[in-house]
Amino acid sequence: MKTKSNLKNIVNKNQIPLGPFHPLLEEAEYFNITVDGETVVDIDMDTGWMHRGHEFISEQKTFTQSIYLVERICGICSTSHPLACVHAVEDVDNIEIPLRGRYIRTLVGELERIHSHLLWVGLAGHFIGYDTVWMWAWKYREPVLQMFEIISGNRNHYGMLRVGGVGKDVDPASVPELNKILDTLDKKMDMIAKIANDDPVLRSRLVNVGILSKKDAIDFCAVGPTSRASGVRGDIRKDEPTDAYDLVDFNEIITKNGDVYDKFVVRVLETLESIKICRQCLNKLKIIDGPILNNVKEISAGEGIGRYEAPRGEVFHYVRTDGTNRPIRHKVRAPSYNNIPTFQASCKGIPIADALITLAGVDPCYCCTERAIRVTDKNNKKNNIDLLKLSRDKTSNIRGNF
Amino acid sequence: MGWYNKRLAKSLWVFHISGSPCNNCDIEILDLITPKYDVERLGIKLVGSIRHADVLLVTGVFNEKVAPKIKKIYEQAPKPIFVVAIGSCPSSGTVFKNSYNIVENRESVIPIDMYIPGCPPKPEAMIEGVAKLMEKLNG
Amino acid sequence: MADYQEFINEMGSKIKVEIKKKRRLYFQVKNDDILEIIDHLFNKMGCRLSTATATETYNGVEALYHFSDDKTGNYYCPRVVMKDKENPEMNSITPIVKGAEWIEREMAEWWGIKFIGHPRPIPLLSRNHPKAPNKPMRCGR
Ligand code: SF4
Repeated sequence: MKTKSNLKNIVNKNQIPLGPFHPLLEEAEYFNITVDGETVVDIDMDTGWMHRGHEFISEQKTFTQSIYLVERICGICSTSHPLACVHAVEDVDNIEIPLRGRYIRTLVGELERIHSHLLWVGLAGHFIGYDTVWMWAWKYREPVLQMFEIISGNRNHYGMLRVGGVGKDVDPASVPELNKILDTLDKKMDMIAKIANDDPVLRSRLVNVGILSKKDAIDFCAVGPTSRASGVRGDIRKDEPTDAYDLVDFNEIITKNGDVYDKFVVRVLETLESIKICRQCLNKLKIIDGPILNNVKEISAGEGIGRYEAPRGEVFHYVRTDGTNRPIRHKVRAPSYNNIPTFQASCKGIPIADALITLAGVDPCYCCTERAIRVTDKNNKKNNIDLLKLSRDKTSNIRGNF
Repeated sequence: MGWYNKRLAKSLWVFHISGSPCNNCDIEILDLITPKYDVERLGIKLVGSIRHADVLLVTGVFNEKVAPKIKKIYEQAPKPIFVVAIGSCPSSGTVFKNSYNIVENRESVIPIDMYIPGCPPKPEAMIEGVAKLMEKLNG
Repeated sequence: MADYQEFINEMGSKIKVEIKKKRRLYFQVKNDDILEIIDHLFNKMGCRLSTATATETYNGVEALYHFSDDKTGNYYCPRVVMKDKENPEMNSITPIVKGAEWIEREMAEWWGIKFIGHPRPIPLLSRNHPKAPNKPMRCGR
């Protein structure tokens, strides 16, 4: 592939490989950064280290099983993916959801946004070598996980959602406690917002770093805080209000500059909005009674699109059904899939020292990005026979031992 | 090795690699070194290079692409190294076990000394696991 | 529903409407017209490309693009059906929409669709894969 002119380019420039296991990348990912002196001139990315084949597996599972599967696409968005998935299935038949169920869905989704944004704020601090921010942000993330434990029984991977509602109810007796945790969280978030405003270290490392212009954001079809920091409006919670989002009051945060600092600010302010939404939901849950799950017996043949504003942007699920209890095609598109290619625009021309924080700026989630595509069943069939043979061998082995 | 192991158990340095996990186990590992659980008080430290590590934490079902790299990292490690597999993924494959892209037997890639099951395991469970490892090393 | 009536009127002869639902419009497009339709959706109407889905059906391989109109919350889904299952070919939309690069690479990799005019036609996920599939691993139903 290397032509002569290409070779000439490479002589003047150096390539820095990064990954797949780099101490700063929490997940395995490989970047090939071409630098000219100190400046990044090109960036190439090799993906596929996390590819597990979700879409393929999902087509062998029923809709309810699928929810637990898509939950495990990514540990951080473990409400967003199931939510988009059930929205897609509900879109096929226009299934109605009971009011209490809608509020619980919104509550869990917003709590997830708080914990995800706090996680990013911490990691951003870690990436610029400011570990104090990391420790603090993650310390205040713990109460959110505690709330999840009260609501769902698990710190991550909640398993709350079903097609037609939610599977678990919020215990009314726990509402005061949840409110109390929210109060402390509110104070701490205020503090972090103030840090973002006047901490000189953060400012000097983040302002005007890795700028993504509005035009690039539109061209690359970026979503979520990445595009909102560049001044592009678009929030699925406002555009297509599902669940209880048309019943609660919140603001869409948009900033203009598109640098990493603005992304930081957008995320911190969004967290404050999320706390507001959670409060409203908890207040409503005190007074609204009724069912949480609309029993769905059958999904007719058709196509459905479901989406939800995950912490990183729009997550998109497409389901095609044929009247049975499994999808015949299930497409998953995570927000990072659209956001990660923006590196090509935002990383070029910046010093190599700033490249890492710029890479982290979009809050990339590689696990999400590399979920899956379906492949031929032929290989798999053979595998199954192999597996069967293996298990028979094993059984006879065990029998022989006794 | 008993003499050596005892010295080792005083302060375990861990290196963490993720072999196609869902990310959650990794986050819980990072959670361990933040203020609430703070395993650094037990002498456990997350290091940036496999060459400094005594314990290798692995998460996830290894996919075909990442498995050779994991093997390579294991080979680079100074021995003895103890491999601790975090989560249900390395032990059973959980929901991914029907996939076409994962290695069927994680132990065929690297030897694993210890499994901490759970999806994801609670940080308390991880601390208990590591404490048991220390106990074992102390004889 | 009135929202996308305007679009249907304008593009009338070029599209074949399949499903019309609240906020969702699925329509079939011929391969020759796809660039024009995408240009209209992306540049004129300011839609955002969500993603694309490839599927194998009885009729052939199909690529379904999903465009989201953020102002109204509508979805426009142009569908291109390629009858030739062995060597499916279609025009790449990446020269118009930069964000389509990855998804088209992915579709080419797993479904064997050849995108004419794609700037960087290399596999997305199985590059440097030790056991890379030597043929597109599309479903064999
Ligand atoms: S064990 Fe569970 S939480 Fe851990 S990586 Fe696997 S699926 Fe994710």
